[in-house]
Amino acid sequence: MTTIPVVYVKGQYNHLIVRNLKELGADSKLLPPSVSLEQLESMNPDALVMGGGPQSVRSRDKLTGELADAARLIRQVKMPMLCICVTHQLLATAFGGVTEAARKPEFGPVEISVIDEGRILEGLGPSFTAWESHNDEVVRKPDGFHVIAKSSNCSVEAMRHEKRDIFGVQFHPEVSHTMKGVDLFKNFLGIVEEHKRT
Amino acid sequence: MGKRLSVAVQGFHPSSFLSEETARLRELAQDKKVISAVSGGVDSTVATVVAREALGDKLLPIMIDTGFLRVGEPERVKERLAKSPTSLKVRLVHASGRFLASIKGEGTAEEKRKKFRETFYQILKEEAQKEGCEYILQGTIAPDWIETQGGIKTQHNILEQVGIDPASTYGFKIIEPLADLYKDQVRMLGRHLNLPSELSERQPFPGPGLLVRCIGNVTKEKIRVLKEATKIVETSLAPFNYEQYFAAVIENGFAKDPSLKTIAETASEALRLPKSEVHVDVFEDRVTGVKGDQRCYGLLAGVKLSEESRETYGWLQDKLRQLQTGIVEKFPDITRVALLVKERRGSGTLSILVRAISTRDFMTAAVSPVPWKILKDIAQQVLKEANVTRVYYDITPKPPGTVEFE
Repeated sequence: MTTIPVVYVKGQYNHLIVRNLKELGADSKLLPPSVSLEQLESMNPDALVMGGGPQSVRSRDKLTGELADAARLIRQVKMPMLCICVTHQLLATAFGGVTEAARKPEFGPVEISVIDEGRILEGLGPSFTAWESHNDEVVRKPDGFHVIAKSSNCSVEAMRHEKRDIFGVQFHPEVSHTMKGVDLFKNFLGIVEEHKRT
Repeated sequence: MGKRLSVAVQGFHPSSFLSEETARLRELAQDKKVISAVSGGVDSTVATVVAREALGDKLLPIMIDTGFLRVGEPERVKERLAKSPTSLKVRLVHASGRFLASIKGEGTAEEKRKKFRETFYQILKEEAQKEGCEYILQGTIAPDWIETQGGIKTQHNILEQVGIDPASTYGFKIIEPLADLYKDQVRMLGRHLNLPSELSERQPFPGPGLLVRCIGNVTKEKIRVLKEATKIVETSLAPFNYEQYFAAVIENGFAKDPSLKTIAETASEALRLPKSEVHVDVFEDRVTGVKGDQRCYGLLAGVKLSEESRETYGWLQDKLRQLQTGIVEKFPDITRVALLVKERRGSGTLSILVRAISTRDFMTAAVSPVPWKILKDIAQQVLKEANVTRVYYDITPKPPGTVEFE
């Protein structure tokens, strides 16, 4: 069985990620971001998903609490990783990108335009409706990442690492109102399973 | 379709859930009596039936009449649950006076919810002492603890997850058989337990009941008007299968903050209507919302269009969505937007809000497209109440709104 823990950064939808992964046949549970690398490895995880949360990652602010721990995990973990909402922003800043207050914050339904489906957004193009809830956004992607989706308000709705299986999405694939959100998790599972084989 | 079904089955099996949970409950209770707090809603009914499978006569269901229930609800629930297949003997505890006294003078949503929670558990404590019970069982589900822990709103049934130890505070321990489930899974379990659809498919009703639909200060008159409006809205919208539909009441007091002056302009731009056709009142009493995973106790904008435009735009959900996002994007203090359906001149001091949503798990919610004609019919009936002068339709999804108003 594929094991994918979800790092709980106090977002409302974190537990729904667990539900999605379990419904797709993976083993999953919530983990606090303070989990040590040894504790994490003892679970034999195949990948990691990081959820959203209420704190802010604006580049100039010093990270505290859960987000500081989550940033440490992002740097340490070598397996496939999917970062959602605030941890997508955290992923960007951890790799040298910039997160700032959004010019137009997005709440509820947003039309997402797919720039490059790749494996992770396979079947989601050319556009789909996703639900969002964010005051900040990634305004400059980090080096070594491709921007693979955008919206009319936000230029980095999704990105992927050029070489590693690391993905960030600003929208919430785990909520039932996001069209084809389940497909994104299926695609991620496919990537994880392939990674396991190699 | 077939694929989706098999996916759902893979995640949650009612039969294995039931056997694991009943075994756990027997182990916990060790043949002692357990009180179950019942409201008549899906969650507490399913939790109680699951526990009865495990504990039989050792389970004592009680229902607290808080005074914030629908007209005739406590008696109706007691009677319904007494019938087969639930066959539960529910004891009613009348406490409406105590609840009203405890929230007197409290105008903010969180204080009202906390006072409600305190009274609720004091009563359970007294009942547990009377019966010599160590455990109270309740129908908490996943969104309850997620929202309370995340600071979005205090759900009345959450203690341990926010650091309140029920054993030392109230002298009993809490059992929550459904704490990891979402509403759709609870309904699935209810169907597996052969509950009739009027129980398993019932629309949710918040624990603190009409208290959280009575925005701001609570008075007997506001609650009375709200109970009447609730009857009208529930009767009119029942045929439409929305996941939740209800009325709320708010006082006609309006904010005069100068920073809100340009809001009518923003609204007319979003709708591409001349400024002269759009008027916006921002209510003084605050309502609960959620933006970027943070609680946002913000303002409610009531948008009034000229009668002719209202007839057109009332049917156009896409336009209403643009109106709502246009305002919320630009005014960070505004969490919710409602459209005026109908008003009348007169000396009344209250507005009624109509809300209808569609959702799977109540974590996100879309505004249901209630036909404009139905909304007008509802308004016509509600405006017969002498104290009500306006009826609005809430056009805010969750996020940035929440399902309930407080």
